Amino acid sequence: MGFLGKGLFKGVSFRFTSLTACLFLIFFASTLILPISHNASLSLKPAFATESPAPAGEHAAPVLSKAEGKPEEGKKEGEGKFTYQPAPKIKVEDYPIVKGFNSRIAVWIVAQLHLFFGAFVLAVPIFVLVIEGVGLATKDERYDHMAHEFIKVSMTAFSITASLGGLLSLMLVSFYPDFFKYMAGIFGKTMIIYALLFFGESFCLYVYYYGWDRMNEGFSKWLHLTMGLMLNVFGMTLMVLSNTWVSFMMAPSGIDDAGVFTGDIWAAIRGPLWNPINLHRFIANIAFGGSIVGAYAAFKFLSAKTDEEKAHYDWMGYTANFIAIFGFLPLPFAGYWLMKEVYGYSQQMGITAMGGAFAWLFIIQAVLIGSLFLGANYYLWCGMGRIKGSERYTPAIKYLIVVIVGCFLVWFTPHTLIMTSKEVTQVGGTHHPVLGFLGVMSAKNTAVNILIVSTFLSFMLYRRSNKIATASWTSTGNALQVALFAGGAINIVTLGVYGYFIPANIRIGLSIPQVMTTLTIIIVSSVLDGFMYKGAKSTGPIEWGKMGQRSQYALFLLAVSFTWLMGLMGYVRSALRQHWHVYTVFRDNSLDAYTPTLGYAAGIITIAVYIFIALVIFAFWIANFSAKKHAEASH
Amino acid sequence: MMKKLIQAVILILVFYLILKLGIPALGSFLHHGTWPVVPTNLMRIYVFFIVAGVLLYLTFNEESAKELGKPIKEVYGNPEKGGLRMIVIAVIALFGGYITYQNVKPSFEAPVELRSIHPAPPSSVEMWGKPYNLLKLTNPFREDKANFEKNAREGGIVFFKNCFYCHGDKLDGKGHYNSGFSPMPANFVDVGTIAQLQESFLFWRIGTGGPGLPKEGAPWRSAMPIWQHFLSEEEIWKVILFLYDYTGHSPRTFG
Amino acid sequence: MKVFIRIIIFSVVLSLCYWGFSNYGIPQVIPEAPPVEEKISGSMTMDQYIALGGKIFNGKGTCTLCHNPVGGRAPLLVESGKDGAPIGARAADRIKDPRYKGKAKTAEEYIYESEVDPSAFVVAGFGKPGTNDTVSPMPATNKGSIGLSEAEIGAVIAYLQKSAGVQVTVKLPTGAAPAAAAPAAAEPQSAKTAEEAFGKHGCTTCHTIPGIAEGGDVGPNFKGLSSRAGSRVKGLSPKEYIMQSIVSPDAYTVKGFEPGTMPADLGEKMTVKELDMIIKYLMEKTG
Repeated sequence: MGFLGKGLFKGVSFRFTSLTACLFLIFFASTLILPISHNASLSLKPAFATESPAPAGEHAAPVLSKAEGKPEEGKKEGEGKFTYQPAPKIKVEDYPIVKGFNSRIAVWIVAQLHLFFGAFVLAVPIFVLVIEGVGLATKDERYDHMAHEFIKVSMTAFSITASLGGLLSLMLVSFYPDFFKYMAGIFGKTMIIYALLFFGESFCLYVYYYGWDRMNEGFSKWLHLTMGLMLNVFGMTLMVLSNTWVSFMMAPSGIDDAGVFTGDIWAAIRGPLWNPINLHRFIANIAFGGSIVGAYAAFKFLSAKTDEEKAHYDWMGYTANFIAIFGFLPLPFAGYWLMKEVYGYSQQMGITAMGGAFAWLFIIQAVLIGSLFLGANYYLWCGMGRIKGSERYTPAIKYLIVVIVGCFLVWFTPHTLIMTSKEVTQVGGTHHPVLGFLGVMSAKNTAVNILIVSTFLSFMLYRRSNKIATASWTSTGNALQVALFAGGAINIVTLGVYGYFIPANIRIGLSIPQVMTTLTIIIVSSVLDGFMYKGAKSTGPIEWGKMGQRSQYALFLLAVSFTWLMGLMGYVRSALRQHWHVYTVFRDNSLDAYTPTLGYAAGIITIAVYIFIALVIFAFWIANFSAKKHAEASH
Repeated sequence: MMKKLIQAVILILVFYLILKLGIPALGSFLHHGTWPVVPTNLMRIYVFFIVAGVLLYLTFNEESAKELGKPIKEVYGNPEKGGLRMIVIAVIALFGGYITYQNVKPSFEAPVELRSIHPAPPSSVEMWGKPYNLLKLTNPFREDKANFEKNAREGGIVFFKNCFYCHGDKLDGKGHYNSGFSPMPANFVDVGTIAQLQESFLFWRIGTGGPGLPKEGAPWRSAMPIWQHFLSEEEIWKVILFLYDYTGHSPRTFG
Repeated sequence: MKVFIRIIIFSVVLSLCYWGFSNYGIPQVIPEAPPVEEKISGSMTMDQYIALGGKIFNGKGTCTLCHNPVGGRAPLLVESGKDGAPIGARAADRIKDPRYKGKAKTAEEYIYESEVDPSAFVVAGFGKPGTNDTVSPMPATNKGSIGLSEAEIGAVIAYLQKSAGVQVTVKLPTGAAPAAAAPAAAEPQSAKTAEEAFGKHGCTTCHTIPGIAEGGDVGPNFKGLSSRAGSRVKGLSPKEYIMQSIVSPDAYTVKGFEPGTMPADLGEKMTVKELDMIIKYLMEKTG
């Protein structure tokens, strides 16, 4: 009992330090946020001035000139006599050559690795915080332990992210100095804020992780949760801030035609692609982080010695898979939004992505995403084996497989078929009368939505496996759900078929009701299930750990495919700029300005994925190492 | 003992036959006189994922997975089945050899060519010695609602004087000479052609013809003439008007 | 360890599958190489020469200050409008105009003549007020602040012909001709008198200045400037106001005139001596 008192005392002192730490943090954050908001308010003035409708007629000229004079004044106040330089026109000789390095490949791989790790360490705190909260709410210690283990896994990854970030900026400085100088000229302020925020994030992370065991009761637990929240706030701000650089490179704003910065940093930040990229990355990070943690759990499961360990990691893998799928389902919709904005910003860029050299990329993407869906579903189906009572639902699986594989094949069918000349004659032209229908957007949107609905259905069956609803209206509820799924599916398919009969610009709009149908099915049936299975009779507990080894490979498949897919889509997003550092403003004149083939890109991506796997294994190994010590010490 | 394995083989065969015969049959029903097979290239991927699906189906359940694996384990693991093992290995090796041979044996078939049906248009194009900005180009006759019918009719005359020999009197790509070409003339009635495109795209395609196609993808062998040498700017715009009017499609717009 | 090796093999093989599909499952499209960037020096192709002309027309040549559809101060050149077809196409008809008195025999020569001697033929309605369309308000483009070289004028003609869709008749400049690229790098030499400075910087293109015969009406007339200069902007003396108007012309725009018309780079081009002479002149002679 003695150590308990000591622990309590320690807890008090720690509470005190964490309180001051928190105060310091708030102060720190305010010093950072204030300049931003100040900046924004400053910049809003000219924005309004120029956006105010110009009165017609020549007599209005003086008014206009006064309004336009304002940003001048604002700039002079803020920046002194400094004038911004236009984007430089650089030549091949202006790119330093570092022997033994190919600038593009080096920067490509390092940036990709930085993004992999960055996504991972940004995602993990999000769901760790949620899981910790769930643990607090349900008073189930397992959740707390799992959350702790999750964050432990990401600790080494955090420093690897930072090191890779440093390496990346050094590489940019040495390989692309003019580009970096230009970017720093515009975003210098945000880059410094970025670095400062990083301190904040590290601080929160360390307090959050190392304080886990000490801050686990009462008020200090809440403080701990707050710390986790701050960690996420810092992380999110970091991501959003660095996204501005990327979105600026793709769709520059806040500069004139020659690339001269207007001095309005907010205008440069708020480019047309900024928010779509923010959302897309945020969602994808969660899915990615979940899949990596899932791989960790799978590895631990496979090498577990005791049943207890097995059960724990089985459960962890299941949760991680759930997170990955949860993030994955809305991802296509975020992707559509991003693509729509790309089209809106520049039709040329949109066509390059969808119809030009990258048209086939979306076939590769379809294969990868199809594998992901199959893998995730397979894991759920396998998981039903550990639940008594699941026999009632397993017969449905074969239909689900047919639907999912069918949708996948539709999605995968390219618009342009590769045919030998003999086949062309057999088909009677290059347009295939059957497959041609499957190659267009209407079919693909329909397939994706059905795919998502089916995956959700798999999940629902899994959830129901060991439960028997006792509510009086169960049969009505079931009928309602069947009607919901059937009606929804019919609606999606009908909309898809209708798409063939209307012009393309209206057809694009059809994807919205399709998505809304999908979301409605998911939300309504979740709510229905929630009520129906309240106080349901159990057919037996879930026997965690009673899981075949094959299913764990599905988790690995998810992790590897996610990583690879992320590399691929990151490549295409970046490659849309073609031979520009900053699209239409700052031309890339290096030897590597050309766009490589997809096969070449796939090679680089594969290399990056291998390096990532190696580094992740290293990070996990380190985490494992400390855990072993811990275990020994407690014995 | 072989039940599951046989089930797997039968399932794969059924789905394969649906693709191999079902799709061409359906296609032949839609387009009489053709037998639209699934192209080999696509077929391979289809079959790959069908096999994957069948295997997933038979292995998600522990007992079924064991049963499926049993004959395989038996053949490879049972010391008494040495003869059978040799036969199985030989069959697999021979099958691999056959596939390889089929792939590398010389043939008289022209190499597979990729046709990007809608290549990305350039941002501007030069016709009649004048530059046109394809991003902003619109059909000048589209706005002229009063004379729409007259203009479309004139476009029709241009079409029947020049285009219909290949593109057909129903605009379905089945003109007199259609079978002589590879790729075949475009079928404008289909939803996948002009309904997908902006008028400026058509203007570019008609004006510069087959030789004006970008390098994008593979070599192109379209026999479409360079119509700017034969038609005037106005005639091309009118013919475009006619194409959309006759087929009932409307040009694609963005935004 | 066995597990570890197994999953490593699994991951590696899976990635390799994706790599293989990307390389052998789909056709390898080789994207087009980045377009060649126009080089302004050395030997040029005709396209580049025309592009250069376009650049000069829209920039350095300051042509679009007046030849634009908004102000209606000068006939449209590139676009077809109420003045007829683009200049490249209509030039040939100009020579046949009964009012035409110039020496040009071809369309190209006509455009050239219009650039270096604008008054040779004035389109009806565009002459200086009161001259009955005999004197053009346009400055000669080969002199003054515009100062195009022969090669540059040729480029502009080529551009105008190209944009009208007619045959480009201009010959590519030979040898070291495109001095266009290297803007006159001669030592800046100060004008000797205020009058010379006005001419050098092209002030009279737009402004009418007392004591100088030439003058335009694009910018304000300077008659009476010294008396009103002090009251234009609060806190600026007449001298300071004039200086501000020259160095940063858009700081204040006189009512009835468009901002952004006056070149903003005079502050860099003028020598201190010239600025001083001009202010002095305007203060003394515009009373």
